[in-house]
Amino acid sequence: MNRSAHKLLIAFLVLPAFVILLAVVIYPFLYNVVISFSNMNLRHIKDWSVTGAQQYVKVFTEPTEPNFYVVFFKTVIWTVVNVAFHVVVGVFLALVLNQKDIRGKAIFRTLLILPWAIPQYIVALTWRGMFNYEYGSLNLLITKYLNLPAVEWLKSPTEAFIACIITNVWLGFPFMMVIALGALQSIPHELYEAADIDGASWWHKLKNITIPLIRPVMVPAITLGTVWTFNNLNIVWLVSNAGEPSDQTHILVSFVYKAAFNLYRYGYAAALSMVIFAILLVFSLFFMKKTKATEAAY
Amino acid sequence: MSRFRLEGVSFLNSKNSIAFRFLASFLILLFGVSACRQKIDLNHIVIWHQMRVDERVILEDQLRQFMNANPGVTVEQIYKETEELRSGFIVAAIAGQGPDLVYGPSDQVGPFEIMGIIEPLDSLFSAEYLDSFIPKGLTYYHGRLYQIADKLGNHLTLVYNKAMISSPPQTDEELIEVGRRLTVDKNGDGKTDIYALSWNYTEPFFFIPFLTGFGGWVMNDDGEPTLNSEGMINGLKFIRDLRDRYKIVPGEADYNIADALFKDGKSAMIINGDWSWAGYKKAGIDFGVAPLPKILSTGMWCAPMVSPKGFSLNSNIALEKRPLIIKLLKFLMEPELQLQTARALWTLPTRREAVESDFVQNDEILRNSALQIDRGRVMPVVPELRGIWDAMRPSYQAVLGGAKTPGEAAKDMQALALSKIREMNE
Repeated sequence: MNRSAHKLLIAFLVLPAFVILLAVVIYPFLYNVVISFSNMNLRHIKDWSVTGAQQYVKVFTEPTEPNFYVVFFKTVIWTVVNVAFHVVVGVFLALVLNQKDIRGKAIFRTLLILPWAIPQYIVALTWRGMFNYEYGSLNLLITKYLNLPAVEWLKSPTEAFIACIITNVWLGFPFMMVIALGALQSIPHELYEAADIDGASWWHKLKNITIPLIRPVMVPAITLGTVWTFNNLNIVWLVSNAGEPSDQTHILVSFVYKAAFNLYRYGYAAALSMVIFAILLVFSLFFMKKTKATEAAY
Repeated sequence: MSRFRLEGVSFLNSKNSIAFRFLASFLILLFGVSACRQKIDLNHIVIWHQMRVDERVILEDQLRQFMNANPGVTVEQIYKETEELRSGFIVAAIAGQGPDLVYGPSDQVGPFEIMGIIEPLDSLFSAEYLDSFIPKGLTYYHGRLYQIADKLGNHLTLVYNKAMISSPPQTDEELIEVGRRLTVDKNGDGKTDIYALSWNYTEPFFFIPFLTGFGGWVMNDDGEPTLNSEGMINGLKFIRDLRDRYKIVPGEADYNIADALFKDGKSAMIINGDWSWAGYKKAGIDFGVAPLPKILSTGMWCAPMVSPKGFSLNSNIALEKRPLIIKLLKFLMEPELQLQTARALWTLPTRREAVESDFVQNDEILRNSALQIDRGRVMPVVPELRGIWDAMRPSYQAVLGGAKTPGEAAKDMQALALSKIREMNE
């Protein structure tokens, strides 16, 4: 094959993916950038024009209800708490399932993956019903078996936010569990045998073998999980019924949704989504660099 | 591997390379083709709608009748959830695409008209034909007709379980009196087992009858919000009292909970819309429909918002396709077809002939539904209503959550509504 033919082959191979990327990622992204510098809204949807950075100024300075900084702070809490639980619960269950002497391992594994297999819409609305003050199963359990007062899950801002987090933790741990289980199964057993000969305890094996060796798999998964959770509109929107009570359970992405589709503020929503993009980009680069995620483990 | 990667990157850097020319030609061809105007199929009509399942089945049947009567013509109906339909139609229509007809409640007319994505219909139909509709069935905005409805209502009424209550309350005082009698703790465990009334009191749409009953309304004739009013304060106080003072409604209820309570016989009455009645019949409940009660202190009936549901024409549709679309619309608006839907789902028709039919005049549910519509107030179609809903919701929920007094809530709603409307119109 001569050099030109070889290049032609490469072009053939790259072209379909490039065209799809261009159509579904690059073009919409660039369009969003342009819109974020425009005045596109209900009154200027066909005759919009580029007006500079005023939408970005509004994102940071406009006295919206709720305020951008408050929503941003809630989004950080939402993301950190969710991802922390996803990782801790997921890795713990993976460690349990990775034990040799567990009977019915396949059944447990299937059951534990179930939350991931159910559509988010169904999960969110089912949990919302379970959080009802009078008829929800959670309050029935709390009052009947724990003898504690019923919790106003969906009526108070803090409890409603916790309700959203509980739902998303339930929904998100199977992903981390599956990833961690895959990573655990790839660790050579000889390493544990050598550690046993040296008299290492369970904790020392976890700290010095398991965690370092699953890290290259878990760090990208955590990065991905962080981005997904940060942008998870469905759960917050459906469990809290679009920010209830009193718009106190918004995260940034539901704030964008509301600006764009309830109030037709397309320019403002585009600028806010660019801010979200910048936050996630900086986080991902920083996190990957700090954790040396791309370095080899062995 | 590294050589392959390097070559893969470098082939794009050389403008004279074969690969670059090939890629450029492909892209020009791709975008050139997509930029060309799509070929118009004059015999294919697409409708986007947000009809629920039982309405969809009837529409499908009616469309089949139309296609059988017009060989070679195909009509495709596509369901979208209300919000998805609105946002999807806006995006598609702005890009010069979208369905031929878009179907939904009348409040979408305002934003669509301002965006210039729907076409006036008054020039497409004769005055005589339009006169065969009741006035509420035709939605005008800025003096032009933009929507023709096949159903009227989308309105709230008092639905009651006849096995639990024989005659529904006519006034607020009767509601409280009957409510106290119907609300019971059967086993004496301190928890209420049956409530007199339930409704979705997280959504301000369900609060409107109480606002109007106490003399309030959402906006004035200029589209400016009027939320900081005595009507608002007294309406909020009233529903808070129903829950906290008289304890005849559940402590917490969204749509699904209220609906489930009524279906399970744990709520004797529910405030719900005409869309729910067919479901209650299917659930085997012997139910009745009554107009919402009168507030004695004001002498005003609780008036829900009323809105027609109908078809609007996409402004991108080619002129030569319009005759077929008009033919389809006229077919779907036939009095007999409207009555077919009314018989199955208790929806109120919009053609005078159908409204005056024996069935509509004599059916108990439809008669009461029509009475409720007469007492109702037409939902404004201006886009500012979006800002008003958004402004009402947080403070309304704060009153029910005990975080605000009705007075504070009314004041905050008004300020927020003004700010949201300003943001929308900037």
